[in-house]
Amino acid sequence: MSDDIRTLTARLAEEPASLAFLELAETLRRRGQLEAAGKVARGGLGRYPGLADAHDLMGRILSDQGDLAGAFDAWADALRIDPMRTGALKGIAFLYFRAGDVAAALDHLQRAAEADPDDVSIAQALAKVRREARGMTPRAEPEPVAPAAPVSAAVASPVAVIETVPLPQPDPGSPFAELEGGHSLLLVDTNGLRLAGSLRSPEGAETGDRVAAQLAGVSREAARATRLLGLGTWHSISVESADAHMVLVPPTAETILLAAREPSLPMARVALLAERAARTAKSWLERIQ
Amino acid sequence: MTDTQLVLDRMTRVPGVRGALIASADDGLVVTEQLMDGVDGRAAAALAGSLVGRLVRTAENAGRRPPVFVQLRAERGSILAAPCAEDLVLIAVVGADANVGLARLEMLDAASRLS
Amino acid sequence: MRALEPWVEAPLQSFLDESSARLTLLMTSSGQVVAQHGFSRSLDVMTAAALGAGIGASTEELARLMGSPRFEALVHHGARQSCLLAGFSIPRGRWLGLVVFGPETSVGIVQLFFDQMVQQLAAAAPRDQAPAAPLPENFERELDASLKALFAR
Repeated sequence: MSDDIRTLTARLAEEPASLAFLELAETLRRRGQLEAAGKVARGGLGRYPGLADAHDLMGRILSDQGDLAGAFDAWADALRIDPMRTGALKGIAFLYFRAGDVAAALDHLQRAAEADPDDVSIAQALAKVRREARGMTPRAEPEPVAPAAPVSAAVASPVAVIETVPLPQPDPGSPFAELEGGHSLLLVDTNGLRLAGSLRSPEGAETGDRVAAQLAGVSREAARATRLLGLGTWHSISVESADAHMVLVPPTAETILLAAREPSLPMARVALLAERAARTAKSWLERIQ
Repeated sequence: MTDTQLVLDRMTRVPGVRGALIASADDGLVVTEQLMDGVDGRAAAALAGSLVGRLVRTAENAGRRPPVFVQLRAERGSILAAPCAEDLVLIAVVGADANVGLARLEMLDAASRLS
Repeated sequence: MRALEPWVEAPLQSFLDESSARLTLLMTSSGQVVAQHGFSRSLDVMTAAALGAGIGASTEELARLMGSPRFEALVHHGARQSCLLAGFSIPRGRWLGLVVFGPETSVGIVQLFFDQMVQQLAAAAPRDQAPAAPLPENFERELDASLKALFAR
């Protein structure tokens, strides 16, 4: 257990009625300890059901866990309490975007931009969604979408919206949100915990945490193999299978990044994508550390 | 010359290939090898076998098919591996100037013939 | 990990880090324990050392009868865990290593890093001290002292 988690746990144990659960759950989420984060957040929500921060946090945890319907509900609850909560607006915008409902995504992002005009990430997300909207062919039969506002109506059928997902997209807090193939980039620490990104199986199931656990020792094994065979420092691992091209690169000594694409994309292109994502991951790690 | 020796012979003719071997994937032990001086076949079998095993589990957990070819690229060369049937893995140690594309084709062909 | 002599510690620790071995016992060919990792009871160490030394002696005798060179290593494969027993010579005399490992590693990895440890032990072993002969009259006392040291009691 790291020092900050130990300190926060001790603080929460001393003052169970405090808001320390917010920081503890968020720290656990960032470290990929999603189950523990969920337990702490649910405990806090039981005590503070009217706290928008707690619902927003629950939304992020559920989204990381791949429970998108649950995340939608949690963010919608946050917006019922605080209609201008930007985190929840961005989260719901992300889910609408994933579901192919660009108009609703844009509407939520515009409201988030009004609430916080200085938030650069909202402006970037708006620009991306607008670009996608321009390049998108209208669907022959539009999916039933919930109206963007008021928020209470937006909650009407989250599962129906989410089940129409055409292509997985990165989680809202991911550093890879703006990258090509961002939905299949995974950043893992040396303990096998997911730091950022996601990875979907061909059937659409989130596999990020399981894959992260397997990647725990890969960097060390690669380093010792190249060292003992006199090949020097390792740069990348390309893994070719019948249904995937995967490339692993080390953005830093303590992390490993996996980029996975369909085999139709040449391996050398996946390697370029991985290198670009590694640079993004390195900058992101420097910012958050 | 046996089939496995033929396979190794063809692989080591690819420019830049410094050694080739067939190892038992689970045990990480050398079955047969053809190496240039200075290439530690035992280390290649043990370390590449272990890494390939981990990558097989990674692919499995990602809901993907098992790897057919792996390249571990380093500053002075690469380790190439192609899992075969019966828990064997074909391994090559190549220099930085090697024709990896040709080595890959040879290894995929050899792996299918050994299967 | 505990070792009776400090120069054994670094090579053994490096072996443990790289090999992911579950249990390791280093002993002289007569069964005197030099270092151990993973054992929780002194009785287990005593039994493992006695059995390891017995197996080592009998395989050496078998090799001699067959006119073969010495068997360097013996591996028992198990479904849940496997065992390597290997003899080696260093300036302090003939030693044996007993390693128990699971499916999280492989016999290739264990042997590779075991050999690396042997080289490091050979390089680190003090050359100015003669190997301690296990005198029968001291044996019980030495065994008791060794076990106390290995289990920090």
